[in-house]
Amino acid sequence: MSRFFRGGDDSSSESSSDEELYGSEEEEEEEKDKLQQDDSDDDDMDQESDEESESDSDDGAAKKGTSRFLLDVESSESEESDVEGTTKVKSAKDKRFDELEATISLIQNGQKINDWGSISNELDKLNRQVVKLQDGGKAPKAYIKCVAELEDFMNETLAKQKVTPKKMNATNARGLNAVKQRIKKGNKDYQDQIDAFRKDSDAFMESDEEEAPPPPKATKVRFEATSFPGEDDGGDFTEVTGGRGPKLTPESIPKHLRAILESRGKKNTDRLEQIKIMERLLAVAVTPYQKIRVLMTLVSARFDLGTGGASSMPLEQWKAAERELASLLLLLEKEKDHIVIEGAEEWDDDDKAPVLENGQKYIKIPGSIVSYIERLDDELTRSLQSIDPHTSEYIERLTDEGALYNIIVQGLLYYEMLRKDASLEVPQESLNRMIQRRLDHVYFKPSQVVKILEENSWKEIPDSVDSTITPRSQSSDAAQLINVLCNYLFENSDGIIRARAMLCQIYFLALHDEYYRARDMMLTSHLQENIANFDITSQILYNRTLVQVGLCAFRKGLVYDAQNTLQEICGSGRQKELLAQGVMIQRFHQVTPEQERLEKQRQLPFHMHINLELLECVYLTCSMLLEIPLLAQTGSSPDVKKRVISKTYRRMLEYHERQIFTGPPENTRDHVMQASKALAAGEWKKATNFIHSIKIWDLMPSTEEIKTMLAKQIQEEGLRTYLFTYAPFYDTLAIETLSTMFELDSRKVSAVVSKMISHEELAAALDQVTETVIFRKGVELSRLQSLALTLSDKASSLIETNERTLEQRTQGSTNAFNRKDRQGGQRGGGQRGGRGGARAGGNTQRQAGGTQFTGGALGAAVRG
Amino acid sequence: MASASEYDLMLKLAPHLDRHMIFPLLEFSASQLVDEETEEVTDEAKFREITEAKYALLKRTNMTDYVAKLYKEIHGSKDAPAEFADKKQKVFNQLELYEQQTGVISELLQREDVIANLRSDKVANLEFLKKDHGVTMEMVNALYDYGQLQFNCGSYDDASETLYRFRVLSTDNDKVAYATWGRLACEILGMHWDTVLEELQKVRESIDAKLANNPLAQLQQRTSLVHWALFPLFNAEKARETILELFFNAGYINTIQANCPWILRYLTVAVITNRGRARNAGIQQKQMKDIVRIVKQEAYEYQDPITRFVQALCTDFDFEEAQRQLVIAEEVLRSDFFLVAHADDFVDSARHLIFESYCKIHARISLKDLSDRLGLNKEDAEKWIVNLIRDTRLDAKIDSKEGTVVMNHPPSSVYQQVIERTKGGFFRTQVLSAAVAR
Repeated sequence: MSRFFRGGDDSSSESSSDEELYGSEEEEEEEKDKLQQDDSDDDDMDQESDEESESDSDDGAAKKGTSRFLLDVESSESEESDVEGTTKVKSAKDKRFDELEATISLIQNGQKINDWGSISNELDKLNRQVVKLQDGGKAPKAYIKCVAELEDFMNETLAKQKVTPKKMNATNARGLNAVKQRIKKGNKDYQDQIDAFRKDSDAFMESDEEEAPPPPKATKVRFEATSFPGEDDGGDFTEVTGGRGPKLTPESIPKHLRAILESRGKKNTDRLEQIKIMERLLAVAVTPYQKIRVLMTLVSARFDLGTGGASSMPLEQWKAAERELASLLLLLEKEKDHIVIEGAEEWDDDDKAPVLENGQKYIKIPGSIVSYIERLDDELTRSLQSIDPHTSEYIERLTDEGALYNIIVQGLLYYEMLRKDASLEVPQESLNRMIQRRLDHVYFKPSQVVKILEENSWKEIPDSVDSTITPRSQSSDAAQLINVLCNYLFENSDGIIRARAMLCQIYFLALHDEYYRARDMMLTSHLQENIANFDITSQILYNRTLVQVGLCAFRKGLVYDAQNTLQEICGSGRQKELLAQGVMIQRFHQVTPEQERLEKQRQLPFHMHINLELLECVYLTCSMLLEIPLLAQTGSSPDVKKRVISKTYRRMLEYHERQIFTGPPENTRDHVMQASKALAAGEWKKATNFIHSIKIWDLMPSTEEIKTMLAKQIQEEGLRTYLFTYAPFYDTLAIETLSTMFELDSRKVSAVVSKMISHEELAAALDQVTETVIFRKGVELSRLQSLALTLSDKASSLIETNERTLEQRTQGSTNAFNRKDRQGGQRGGGQRGGRGGARAGGNTQRQAGGTQFTGGALGAAVRG
Repeated sequence: MASASEYDLMLKLAPHLDRHMIFPLLEFSASQLVDEETEEVTDEAKFREITEAKYALLKRTNMTDYVAKLYKEIHGSKDAPAEFADKKQKVFNQLELYEQQTGVISELLQREDVIANLRSDKVANLEFLKKDHGVTMEMVNALYDYGQLQFNCGSYDDASETLYRFRVLSTDNDKVAYATWGRLACEILGMHWDTVLEELQKVRESIDAKLANNPLAQLQQRTSLVHWALFPLFNAEKARETILELFFNAGYINTIQANCPWILRYLTVAVITNRGRARNAGIQQKQMKDIVRIVKQEAYEYQDPITRFVQALCTDFDFEEAQRQLVIAEEVLRSDFFLVAHADDFVDSARHLIFESYCKIHARISLKDLSDRLGLNKEDAEKWIVNLIRDTRLDAKIDSKEGTVVMNHPPSSVYQQVIERTKGGFFRTQVLSAAVAR
């Protein structure tokens, strides 16, 4: 790796070799105070690696000129083997000193022209260089001098800055800040030397001359042991924890935290190890400030374990993170003067903890509770996605949701509290995010479950705290809770969050059999028009809601509405994909791994699933109830346009009919298909039996009611089918006979027949005296007649199409024609409006059913 | 009576009506409690309740004399407290004050020469009056306040006139809109139905135009307008068609469905009683179809005997149920302020409706059965049917021997249909080719 990285490295060669060995400089810094005896060895290692890296180590140094380059080559050529180590140490060290001096002079130049940007860069370099040149914990004199001077200069500049109103430019200011921090940090380590320098600079510099650096001993064994980065790290850390244990003090906490934070995201950091350190730090932390800081760092470190691909966070880590977040929230609740807030200023001083100054209300700590909670939530979802839902492990994991919910509620309370203080300017968005998360956990659950969840979470929260948005007293009523949460989001958010809140509420209403409210909300939201522009997760939520509304309509016995609502999802045959409950196997084109991964990420955890088999069963049953009478009707008269309500159903029916041998039904589909066959033949009792023997109805609440409802529907539709099918063979039919045949009330029978007559589906009339249905004869059209009708239809639609085309062409500029055509347009508009309105109500008459194809005149032409 | 009071809509209507408009409704409720023959109050407690409601209603208006009288009635005392007299005095003073302020304008607007100089441009008018006659903006605004005060005192005609003058002169759009509402109220209470229609149209225009980008306010104002329009709908024969047209306008029908489904009762009654009276049978049929659809759609939200009647008859074809609902509906109608005058009319039209759909479905009907269904005795039923057959030219005959009515349902000929469909084809093609040729 080193070579690869080094190629692009434009800073000094040493720095890159450092990184190769230590992973990070900060670590090294830590080690400095504890492992000083290792320094010489370290130096050695550096040299060795330098030699190995040979000429490319000069890339950085090359800027010093060719002479230097040549020198380097010479020296590196001579430095072939590690045995010769001691002699070469000198030259390498010299080289370093040269570089150090070069850097120092650059810094001095920078000081002259007040260029803090370059000073900061050079200082970084300097710090890296100087580590290599330490002997016995003492930094080179030149370095000390430079740093001390720099500090003075910096203080001067800062002082000047305060007085002059003129602002520094951005890069300069940033550089200055960086230098300030570096100096503060760096100078601590060399404080005594700097002090000495300050006391008497000349004497200090002189003493330096005499002191020759003791030649470090190169131990081959050590080098070999450390040359493997991974091993090296592990070794170091065990050593560190072993040796450092007792040294963890409350005072050193900030420093450790900083080190850990800075190593974050870098390679070769052993996160588990860091977590262990932090756990111990937490034990020693005393002040709330320290505790909060440690907890926050700890939680984010735990989350870091979960990053990387699809793997989820280990269980125990999640639990620990959850515990820590809970205690963090509790702590924040107790210590009201400490707040964690996004966009607070970083506290740079590691030595002293921030204290409340006069006029300050809070100690602000930068951080985002909402992000932690969201992350925790996401991690749980991820782990649920990866666990097999049919194991007890899944259920165990699911119990953690309660704890998570508690945290969400607490987090919400915390943000509410922050919001109360207007001076903090907590963005509305954080609160919205919390509420959204909370909503996400309750909307798909039955109210009893929500109630338990709520009760448990309020138990965790001290009595003194109450929420303004969702008061404790109202928490027992789930519907109320959802309503409050959603309304809050309607009022305080916009765009997608608002739409999602709406969908969640509709879902919940539909789940609790509030069909009309759910439907009305769905229609007033106008989401069906623009849902395609939303992100995929929202679309999934929309699909789920739609399905739930459909199921709700079915439970209410509104077969037509249910079928109409479910059509879009179930008719596509891609239910699994649309509801994010499983990945579809692509038959025709390959899916890239990237797509597949994304798709997997979107999958809902099992406990949120809508039972697909039940869904299919409901859909097919509804389709059956609508399609069978329709088939009977169209079958007898050829002129009725072939309308198809559900293509999926038709296809299945055809497939079923093609089978030569049909055994007893096995799955849900078989049951529905055989029931359809029976119904088409007028054997409604058999159909009812088939439908009733479907096992999956048991999953519906109040199964018996649904079965009776279905039986009733089958009776009625059976009667209609019978009339359609056998009308041509009768002159009259006694109502009484029909009523016994279908075990329906004779009043009901005559109502059904009346309806059919009135809608002109049946050419018949009732005879009240004899209580019979009289079928009119001669209404069936001959082939010629029906063709004539079709022809006339087509002719008129042709004219209409022509008019339309002309209108489009001329943009309505031809007046005489226009007037005429406007009427036509209005007529068309009226029709469409009427149909649209009816559809909006979802209560269209059967004739209009299924034809959602409103293509105006052109459409009519196409259809005809 | 108990069943009818169950469907009393007073509480639902009241929030959308003006104080002054509720008063007749209360008055009507009170009169319902008085026995017609003996002139005795049947339900003492309820009567008192209504009187109290009247008092509470009018307390804040300036009709002090009447309020004082109500007060006396409630408290059983002989004289009203002094505060009424005070208030009366105050109101008088104020009236006088406004009269002085607006005197100039009122006078001016009665002078021929001034009116002759007025144009349709309001700004120019105001400029002209300012220059020549010293009319100021304050005076115009005083007109508005004066109108309001007059209205509160119950002198609706004067108020209407004042507001009209204000509207002619004012350029303040908001106030003009309010003045229009005010004038509408005045005209309704003054029962000048012709002007009511004009004002209604104006209000409607302003709602449609000005509030187009404020859907909530639009909804609310439309709701109010729908409620106010009930007064002319059932009181003025001429207004009926215009108002029905208004109600069936997409915006208003949506308002009714969304915000005040109880209006469906009135709408249904209006449509049903409008049968045969409408000039255009096509429109009437369409309205009937619409109302059936809407009643069915809203059934989950609002039901009363009238809508149930429609549903039983037109969607479920359950004639027995329809008959039952009709009986209850009649009672409800008789106890409804707006509908009381139309109860008989409604029952008659409803019978027609029943018979019509009955005939459509049946080929042979027993006279006896039919007379039961229509709630008439056999003789009357026969007469009624004969009249009906003659009026509507139904293809039906009475078979006296069998005691039946026999319908004829001639199937429409296919060839007739083909001719119908291709009728306009030639003309349309001609127009088309003419347009292309140009």
